[in-house]
Amino acid sequence: MTAMRRVRFQINGQSVEQDVAPRLLLSDFLRDVLGFTGTHVGCEQGACGACTILLNGEAVRSCLMFAVQVNGATVLTIEGVSPDGTSLHPIQRAFHENHGLQCGFCTPGFVMSACALLKENPAPTESEIRTQLSGNLCRCTGYESIVQSVLQAARDLESAGGQSAGKADSHAG
Amino acid sequence: MRRSEDYRLLLGAGTFTDDLQIPRTLHAAFVRSPYAHARITAIDVERALALPGVVAVFTGEDLAKLTEPGVTAQAGAEPMVMETLPTRKVRFNGDPVACVVAVDRYVAEDAIELVEVDYEPLAPVLSMESAAAPDAPLVDEDLSSNLHTRQTRTFGDVVSAFAEADEIVEVRFSTQRMTHVPIETRGVLAVWDAGRMELTFYSGQQTAHLLRTNLARRLRLDENQVRVISPDVGGAFGQKIPLFREELTVAALAIKLRRPIKWIEDRLENLTVANHARDDSAWIRAAVTKDGRILGIKAELWADYGAYAFFTPKYPIDSVGWLLPGPYKLQNYEYSINVVITNKCPAGTLRAPMALVTWATEGMVERIARQLKIDPVEVRRRNMITSRDQPYVSATGYSYEALTPWEGYEQMLRDFDLTGFRAEQRAARANDRYLGVGIASVLEPTTYGSAWYKKSGRGSGHEAATVKVEPSGAVNVSVGIVPTGQGYETTIAQVVAEALGTRVGNVNVLLGDTSIAPYGMGTRGSRGAAAGNAVAYLAATEARAKVLRIAAHLVGEPIDNLEIRDDQIYVLGEPEPRLPLSQASWTAYMDPSALPAGELPGLEIHRTYDPPAMTFSNATHLCVAEVERRTGRVEILDYRVIEDAGTLINPAIVDGQIRGGVSLGIGQALLEEVVYDELGNNQTATFLDYLIPTIDTVPNIQISHVQTPNPHTVLGLKGMAEGPVQGGLAAVMIAVQDALDGKGITIDRSPASPSRIRALFRAVEGDLDE
Amino acid sequence: MAGGQSLVPLMNMRLATPRHLIDLKNVAGLSDIAMSETSVTIGSMARQRQIELSPAIRRACPILAEATTHIAHFQIRQRGTIGGSIAHADPAAELPLIALLLDARIVVRAADRKRSIPARDFFVSTFVTALDESEVIETVVLPRLSSGEGWAFEEFARRHGDFALAGVAATVTLTGGRYSGARLAMSGVAATPVVLPMAERLLGEEPSRALYRAVAAAATADLTPESDIHATGEDRRDIACHLTEIALAAATERALHSTDRSAG
Ligand SMILES: Cc1cc2nc3c(=O)[nH]c(=O)nc-3n(C[C@H](O)[C@H](O)[C@H](O)COP(=O)(O)OP(=O)(O)OC[C@H]3O[C@@H](n4cnc5c(N)ncnc54)[C@H](O)[C@@H]3O)c2cc1C
Ligand code: FES
Ligand code: FES
Repeated sequence: MTAMRRVRFQINGQSVEQDVAPRLLLSDFLRDVLGFTGTHVGCEQGACGACTILLNGEAVRSCLMFAVQVNGATVLTIEGVSPDGTSLHPIQRAFHENHGLQCGFCTPGFVMSACALLKENPAPTESEIRTQLSGNLCRCTGYESIVQSVLQAARDLESAGGQSAGKADSHAG
Repeated sequence: MRRSEDYRLLLGAGTFTDDLQIPRTLHAAFVRSPYAHARITAIDVERALALPGVVAVFTGEDLAKLTEPGVTAQAGAEPMVMETLPTRKVRFNGDPVACVVAVDRYVAEDAIELVEVDYEPLAPVLSMESAAAPDAPLVDEDLSSNLHTRQTRTFGDVVSAFAEADEIVEVRFSTQRMTHVPIETRGVLAVWDAGRMELTFYSGQQTAHLLRTNLARRLRLDENQVRVISPDVGGAFGQKIPLFREELTVAALAIKLRRPIKWIEDRLENLTVANHARDDSAWIRAAVTKDGRILGIKAELWADYGAYAFFTPKYPIDSVGWLLPGPYKLQNYEYSINVVITNKCPAGTLRAPMALVTWATEGMVERIARQLKIDPVEVRRRNMITSRDQPYVSATGYSYEALTPWEGYEQMLRDFDLTGFRAEQRAARANDRYLGVGIASVLEPTTYGSAWYKKSGRGSGHEAATVKVEPSGAVNVSVGIVPTGQGYETTIAQVVAEALGTRVGNVNVLLGDTSIAPYGMGTRGSRGAAAGNAVAYLAATEARAKVLRIAAHLVGEPIDNLEIRDDQIYVLGEPEPRLPLSQASWTAYMDPSALPAGELPGLEIHRTYDPPAMTFSNATHLCVAEVERRTGRVEILDYRVIEDAGTLINPAIVDGQIRGGVSLGIGQALLEEVVYDELGNNQTATFLDYLIPTIDTVPNIQISHVQTPNPHTVLGLKGMAEGPVQGGLAAVMIAVQDALDGKGITIDRSPASPSRIRALFRAVEGDLDE
Repeated sequence: MAGGQSLVPLMNMRLATPRHLIDLKNVAGLSDIAMSETSVTIGSMARQRQIELSPAIRRACPILAEATTHIAHFQIRQRGTIGGSIAHADPAAELPLIALLLDARIVVRAADRKRSIPARDFFVSTFVTALDESEVIETVVLPRLSSGEGWAFEEFARRHGDFALAGVAATVTLTGGRYSGARLAMSGVAATPVVLPMAERLLGEEPSRALYRAVAAAATADLTPESDIHATGEDRRDIACHLTEIALAAATERALHSTDRSAG
């Protein structure tokens, strides 16, 4: 196989330096090498959104990138969303309070996508949420509770002054 | 009550099968047939073995030495035998023929392309008609025919019903082949402990114990050498029930190679080979009087079961059969089931295996109304079962009690302005807009007791629980059901806390590990509540009784004077507690000599429970839809559900089941379809071709609950989970038909895709765009 | 490789197995968006998301911004590039359609040479373009819409973000209440996006629903789209016809509004 490449980047507030095979997918790198298994893989076809992470603050599919491509970048995964690793970020709390998850497999992708969505559009309408999150598949919930979760998260973040303590904000871009 | 599962799942700290990492793990990948039907003439693994990183390549011949074949037996039909991997013939596009084991998945996938299999292609059998033809090539050469199951059952006096009828109304309904699509695909991590000679099989599953029994047999191990652990499961929907050939292969090879082996299916495999469902059709004739009374029905039901049997082939289609009379007073009934074996992916149970039934029954009632020119509401009024008619024994022998189909239907008509809608519909029609309403009454079989299994073949419907009040008073509970998203950890904790008088947060629920959980029947149908939660409640009730016996002895009061609240033991009428619960539990373990005479030490209860032969829930679904003539798009404008699932433990979770279930029903009605080409190649191997509902395709659903407790179950629980799927399909399809009414269009196949709708319009109007 | 949003799925399914991959991100200056009096020059590595959110593009070439929002989902547009989409040449894709409608120029270069290919010569067939092995797209140059030009982009996909069964893009200009200019192009109805000369039937006419219907019917009558599992050729043609009517109405509406504005 082709020679390994060195990548240096920031993930969830930590610096990482690691040699990776050029063909290693970012999703596999995050999960299998770095142990951030909260990022899920549901298709590797770019279609389900379970693998969504924030790359330099922008939501992207980690299954459609190679590990080598994050060199120099800042990555946030679901593990870094909570402000302290143990308490729920307002977006996570809103999913909890609105029953926005059942099996929870799609959930990290939805939370990451919602982070990006709310950063760009802090007060989305229901129809904006439905359009913007159409690239995340959930087979369990029927989605209504996810829409409610995002609406509530928007309200909660708003009343917290648009600021939250979460790393989701501080590391986003 | 919010779910306790959420915390780990939201933090990204859940543990799904692929999250587990064990040192020295090897990775498996499967070589799969590019043909739908072919003889395997040779397999050359040399080039694959030569690839650096490849540890071994095993074929069907190798696996036959390591494992026992699977056998599916069904009364009155030939048994179907399935090799672990096929040795002679492949039977569908994607059939696994060899397993590569390598240091990582990338290398394993590289090696797959180097395994050379010589095939001699055979003519594929791809439809019900061609399968049943007398000269059809045999899909399974051990069978005498592709028409595997053919049974007819008659109830009441069908002959007279048809002789006395004023009219015969005839309808056909077919549902497309679908697949389950859990967002987490299948997978397994098999670990062989060579010292203890024990296998640990980590895999997201619905029925851990049954799987263990089967796995031990197929691996020729004793059952106490196998431990199945189902960690967090990313959805299952009936897919993660059988022991799949890939999983068995991986387990066998982990033992053979003495290395942990992981196999995680990719999406392409999940869509094409991980079992399908729903390839069913119904042809129904109803004998009716002029005033709309249904005297009797005859139904001919067909199912395309694909290439192998992981479940008894008759099972899903037979549930359509025995349920078809639905919530109607109907005693003269005959149905036949016909199951064919074809060169397609095997079929199985997908959440609501009987999904076709509600559309078939309600679609039939709608057609009766149209043919007789009577209001469909009237036809229902004349035939539907009301609470006054119960207990009612259905034609097929099921006992209905505490059901409210007519009451639910009436309530829907009070809530929804049907007259107003009809006016709006007419006005829209004048503008070339097609609005329709579909109302469907769902009768959902929920909890299948052992008596049911006995009657329909074999198996058990009982469930088991352990409740352990530990010395400190902390509670550990386990049940044989396995969660795949239903929130069982929360609902079980709720019922146990209620029975014991402790806080929900004090109850830890451990599920899915066969070494911890008592032997139960797992998660199938809608048995979580009325079997799983029920048995936990019963076990907790026994634990409570023991706590009270101990406490009574300690405080010197009669048992009947005591109660447990908030972890404290009170004497009735006293404001202050006498003892904490933990003092009773501590005594039970640490100071047994202080126990009442005859009381054994410890506070660990094991309890089993066999629910009634069958319990039912019912619901009324309403859908308003618009069909766009020019594009064939169907848009849902309004969706409502009135659900009667008896006592509800956690209404938010039930609402979640309704929304998720309706969403699957909508997927079936409008989007999803497994497609094979004329050679039997699967054409829907990606999420861009197999379309499941997205957040922009599922509407909000207005839900209301009626809670009529079942008098024969624990706490009056009925359970629910599959009915919303039945209702979703039916209400949408009936709404679409209603929208097209008067155009001479009959929609009798799902999905109502743009293409199907366009074709129907084109057929009646010629080129519409002129 | 540009954004990898088409290539990597193919690699993951082992439908593409390139021996070497060059990440064009490492080539500087390829993602700039530059405006001139008459045109918009977009670096091939400009992200689709960047294009859709660019206020300058929204002003100068709103139909491009609008069409871009219909590509897949925002997480994919975050990586997917204009150059990648045009090079990939999916017959149902949005950006090739807009490039063709506006007759963009695709500026391509190889190590030693550079050429500019008009969009009408660029798209050869399904996934086939006029690019040769050694060439990469450097920029895409699109003419600005003129003030007073009405535009519309309409597509029909089964779910939001899916590849469209058919798409229609149109621009119209009106002078004194009659059409003085019109362009019409479609995607999903042939092996490449197609320009329909039928737009000329509008010239000199006054807007009316009957006219849209006649133009749409004539424009789509001779199309013979391929069938696939999502739709038959006939379905695609029916849908394209319907979308054409809507697009003509919407473009006309916009043209009338902007005329109103400039008049007022
Ligand atoms: C789930 C999903 C849904 C999608 N839906 C849509 C949709 O609705 N509409 C749509 O249009 N697209 C859709 N796409 C495709 C996606 O938008 C891609 O962004 C786009 O087609 C390719 O852009 P890219 O930059 O990612 O190219 P890449 O994937 O990187 O490359 C695609 C091809 O173009 C070549 N290439 C890339 N850049 C250049 C260049 N500068 N010069 C020469 N060759 C080059 C590459 O070598 C490769 O062969 C979808 C993708 C996914 C995963
Ligand atoms: S795993 Fe990346 S989109 Fe599905
Ligand atoms: S919660 Fe199971 S897939 Fe979304």
